[in-house]
Amino acid sequence: MALLNAWAHSLHFLPYFLRVLCVSAITTVVLTACAFWMAFVLGFVLALMRLSRHAAFRAIASVYLELFRNVPLLTQLFLLYFGLERIGLTLPAFVAATLGFGLNGAAMLSEVFRSSIVGIDRGQGEAALALGMTWPMALATVVLPQSMRIALPALANFGIGLLKDTSLASAVAVPELMFRAKMLVSETYQTNLIYLIVAAIYLLLSLVLSRVSAATEHGLGKRRAALS
Amino acid sequence: MSYAELWASMHDDLLQAAWATLRLALGAIAVGVALGLLLAIVRIGSRGFAGRVARIYIEVFRGTPALVQLFLVYFGFVTIGIRFDSYQAAVLGLGMNAAAYFAEIFRAGIQAVPRGQSEAAFSIGMTGSAAMRWVVLPQAIRLVLAPSGNVAIALLKDTSVASLIAAPDLMLRAQDLSSQYFMPFEIYVTVGAFYFVLCYPLSRLMRHIERRHPARG
Repeated sequence: MALLNAWAHSLHFLPYFLRVLCVSAITTVVLTACAFWMAFVLGFVLALMRLSRHAAFRAIASVYLELFRNVPLLTQLFLLYFGLERIGLTLPAFVAATLGFGLNGAAMLSEVFRSSIVGIDRGQGEAALALGMTWPMALATVVLPQSMRIALPALANFGIGLLKDTSLASAVAVPELMFRAKMLVSETYQTNLIYLIVAAIYLLLSLVLSRVSAATEHGLGKRRAALS
Repeated sequence: MSYAELWASMHDDLLQAAWATLRLALGAIAVGVALGLLLAIVRIGSRGFAGRVARIYIEVFRGTPALVQLFLVYFGFVTIGIRFDSYQAAVLGLGMNAAAYFAEIFRAGIQAVPRGQSEAAFSIGMTGSAAMRWVVLPQAIRLVLAPSGNVAIALLKDTSVASLIAAPDLMLRAQDLSSQYFMPFEIYVTVGAFYFVLCYPLSRLMRHIERRHPARG
């Protein structure tokens, strides 16, 4: 009975919690989007470096990859936010978090891009070169459009992982979903209800992402079927 | 304070904390593998209620951040009378999270063993569980080795998240040391190097295994 009363009491907070948490979910989405684009661009550059003819580029990209893949994200975030501040480079929390997730994500996406570029038949690039295209042109107009289709499921997976990982930004004081949730908990002590709502919001967002990517894949498949 | 002095005063602490991180990871891997195997078998074997519960478990734990799960286990369970210390909560929370990932890998591995294998086992009179234990699982293990190794390495890195519920690991020690010596840059670089030394050999090993036993089917 006491437990029931306690729950009835928490429900009274529900509209307030939902309002605050849904607003802070926007910050989570914006942070995810910013970090995603940074990882996308930098990851692409790294993939090209790994496929480069020059050994120096390949070596730099490999070292970058190993460093970022074998050190926890949280350590990287703390280094960027607390570490750099100490040596005189103060980044705003949001910038530090975007940078951290972006630099880390680039290492993961470079593998995705590399394998999807390698996955395209060599003949495609060679045919484009034989037509007199330059290599950048062949890459941009012939190879990449095909490899992006291969990369799509992995990109979506990365996006969903990133969305969940942004919860770590609460530890460097970015006012996103998890950060606001902690504040609400210390304000009202409704621990279970608040974190369950937070879990539900993350679940909803990641379901939406996976549905969107499945629909895009389906759409691309159809277009491809129509072309062939 | 020079780096040499800092290192001299913190390396014992850090080594101890690295050991704690390893123990935490091993505990969580044990929970994750055991629960993951159970979930995979239930998901494959049951079309009814139990199968649906396993599927929902996997969806929910993979769709929400490990941090939220840890907070629920550590701060949430206390309010309904279940108390864990931060280390137990971390092992349980990270283990339950990893179980969802292990379950999907195990399911794929078990389903990749050709049907004829279990049918042959049934035809020589084995029961379902004997066929699973002696025929299917030994073959599935080879398939799941590399992907589960990768999940285990990810888990080893994710133990750093447990510092946010004050579980005694490398990251928590790093935070303590930073507030003690005010040299966060040096300390986080050092701690990053510790994680690197733990993870890099393992990821090389996994890549080696992946090349030797490429995933099929």
